[in-house]
Amino acid sequence: MLERIARERVATLFLVTVIVLLLVGMAAPGFLSARTASIIWSNGLVLMLVALGIFPVILTRNIDVSGGSVLGLSAVTLGLTVNAGAPLPVGIAAALGAGAAAGALNGGLVALLGVPSIVATLGTLGLFRGVMLIATGGEWIEELPQGVKDLADKGFFGLSAIGIVALAVIVVVWLVLRTRRGRWIFAVGDNREAARHLGLPVRRIEFFAFVWAGLMYAIAGIAFAAQIGFVPNQAGSGLELRAIAALVLGGISLLGGVGSVAGVVIGVIFFTSIDTALVFLKIPAYWNDLIGGAMLLAVLLIDGRLRIALEARDRAARYRRGGTQPSKSRDLEEAA
Amino acid sequence: MKRLMMRWEVLLLGILVLELAVFGAINPRFLNLGSLLYGTSDFVQVGIVAVPLTLVIIAGGIDVSFASTVGLCAITFGIANFFGMPLAVSLGVGFATGALAGLLNATIIRLTRLQPLVVTLGGLYMFSGAATVLSGVVGANGFDGIGGFPAAFTGLGYQMIFGLPMPLFVFLSFSLVMLVLLHVTRFGRLVFQIGQNESAARHAGMPVARVQMLTYVITGLAAALAGLLLSAYFGSARVDLGKATLLPAITAAVLGGASIYGGQGSVIGTIIATFIIGYLQQGLQMSGVPSQVSSALSGALLVVVVAMRHGAPLLREFIPVRPRPSE
Repeated sequence: MLERIARERVATLFLVTVIVLLLVGMAAPGFLSARTASIIWSNGLVLMLVALGIFPVILTRNIDVSGGSVLGLSAVTLGLTVNAGAPLPVGIAAALGAGAAAGALNGGLVALLGVPSIVATLGTLGLFRGVMLIATGGEWIEELPQGVKDLADKGFFGLSAIGIVALAVIVVVWLVLRTRRGRWIFAVGDNREAARHLGLPVRRIEFFAFVWAGLMYAIAGIAFAAQIGFVPNQAGSGLELRAIAALVLGGISLLGGVGSVAGVVIGVIFFTSIDTALVFLKIPAYWNDLIGGAMLLAVLLIDGRLRIALEARDRAARYRRGGTQPSKSRDLEEAA
Repeated sequence: MKRLMMRWEVLLLGILVLELAVFGAINPRFLNLGSLLYGTSDFVQVGIVAVPLTLVIIAGGIDVSFASTVGLCAITFGIANFFGMPLAVSLGVGFATGALAGLLNATIIRLTRLQPLVVTLGGLYMFSGAATVLSGVVGANGFDGIGGFPAAFTGLGYQMIFGLPMPLFVFLSFSLVMLVLLHVTRFGRLVFQIGQNESAARHAGMPVARVQMLTYVITGLAAALAGLLLSAYFGSARVDLGKATLLPAITAAVLGGASIYGGQGSVIGTIIATFIIGYLQQGLQMSGVPSQVSSALSGALLVVVVAMRHGAPLLREFIPVRPRPSE
C-alpha cells in the first residue's frame, strides 16, 4: 500500500484530486458539473503552460524562476505590436520571439557561462520585469483588439484556441520525451557527467531546455492577455513559484531526471481545483495562500517521509537477504 | 598585499566607491552626508535579512520564506499590541513568530531531506497566507495595515544613536554579531564545514542538523527584526512589508560572495553588497531614472557580476597557458 502511494505518485495525486472534488461537490451542490471542469481548465491554462515550460528545465536539474517576468514581457510585446496596428499573427510572432530571446539569454548564462541557474534566473527575473516596464513606461496596456480576446473564446468542442494549443503542447511534450533525444534530457538531469562522457551535447540540451521554457512562457503570456483582455504591470508575477510548486506536487524531482507529463498536468489541475473549490465554498480569497502553502508542505512532508521509510525497508530487506544467502545477494545487488 | 587586493570584498568596496563617485558626478546633491545616511533607512531591511541568509547559503541551504516571515512577524506583533499587551510582550511575540517560522522550515527540511528551496517556497506561501488571514482577525482587511502603536515604538524608527539613524544602527550592530558568529566562533567554522561537504561533516560527528536548524532560526529572527523595524518606520504593520526584500536580499548575499552551492561566503561581502544595491536604486532615482529602469539595472547587475565570477575561470580554459615570466 505504502509502496503504491510512493511509487505511483501521479495515480495517488489523481485519486486525491478526485476525492477532494467529490467532497467539495457534496458540500456545495452544483459544483460537480461540466461547467466547473471547463472553468478549472481555463483557469489553469496559464499555469499549465508555464509549468510545461519549466518542466524540461527542471528535468535537466536546473531551475528557472524568471517565468513570470518573461510572461509579462511577451504579453507586453504582443499588446504593443497589436495596438500599434500590426496584424495579430505578427504580434504573436513578436511575442514568441521575445520569449525565445529571453529563454536564450537564460540558457546562455547557465549553459555557456556556467552561472548557477537559480542565480541567473533570479537576476533575469528582475531584468525582464524592468525591460517590460521600460517598454510600457509603467502603464497598463488596455483596449486590446477583439482578435486577441477571441483567442480565449470557447469554440471547437468548448475549447478555446489557447486551450487547443495547450492540449497540443501536452501531447508534444509527452511524445518528445519518449523519443531517443527526449531521453537525453532525463540523462543530463540524472547524471550530468555521465551524460557528457556518453557523448551527449549536454550544454546544447540545457540551452534548448531554457529556450523551450521561454517559448512556453510567451504562449502563456498570450493566453494571459487573451483571457483578461489587458496587460497589467504585474502580469505573471509570482506565477513561476506556483508552477514550481505544482510540479513538485506532481512528483517532478528538483534533483533532475525524474518526472512525467501526467505529473505536470495533474499537479496543475490539483492546484487550480483547490482555488476554484475555495471560490465555490465561499471561502474568502485571502485564505488561498495559506491553504495552498499548507497543502504543499503537507504533501512534501508525507511524500518525503514515505520515501525515507521505503528506502529504509528496502535496505533492511537487502541486509536480511545478505545474512542468509550471501552469494545470492551479491548477484542481486549487482543486478540492481 | 596582493592577496588582500585580490579579495572579492575589496573589489566590492571598489565598486561601491565607483558607484558613489559616478552618482556624485551626475548629481552632486547625492553625496550629501545627511542624505546618504538617512537614505539607508529605505534599504537596510534588505541587509538585515541578507546577512543571516548568507549563513544559510554557506551551510548549503537556501531560504526564500523570509520575505513572508517579515510581514507575518509584523502582523503578530500588531495583533498582540492590538489586544493591549505591553510593548515588551508584543515584541517578544513578533520575535517568537520569526523563530518558529525558521524552526518549521528547518524541521520540514530535516524530516523530508528535500531541497530547501522547495520547502521554503511552501513556507513563502503559507506564511504570507497566515499573515493575511491573521490580519483579518483584527478587522484589518486584506492588505490594510494594523496601526495604533504606542508612540514609544514608532519613535524608535526615527531615533538617532551615536549619530546614526536607528535602522542603520540596528543593521550594523546586528551584522557585527553575525560577523563574529560566522568568522570567529566554532559555530561559524561548523557552518563553513557543513557547506563544504555535508557528508564529511556528518561522518566527522559534527551536529549538522542542529547547525543548519540554527541558521534558519536566525534568519527567522532577523526577518522579525526587519518586520518590527519597518512597522516602526511606517507606523503600521502590513502583510506585504517584506515582499520587496526577496530578490534584493538574495542578490546581496550572492553578490557578496556566497556560493549557492555552499561553503563560501562572507558577512562583510554581504554588507557591502547591500549598500551597493541600496545606493544603486537611490542614485538612479536621484539621477532622474524612472524606477522601472532601476529595477532592470539591479537585475542586470546581479547577472553581470555573477556571470563575471563564473565566466572568468571558464574563459581561462580557452586561453592557452603561457609560460610565466620569471619573477
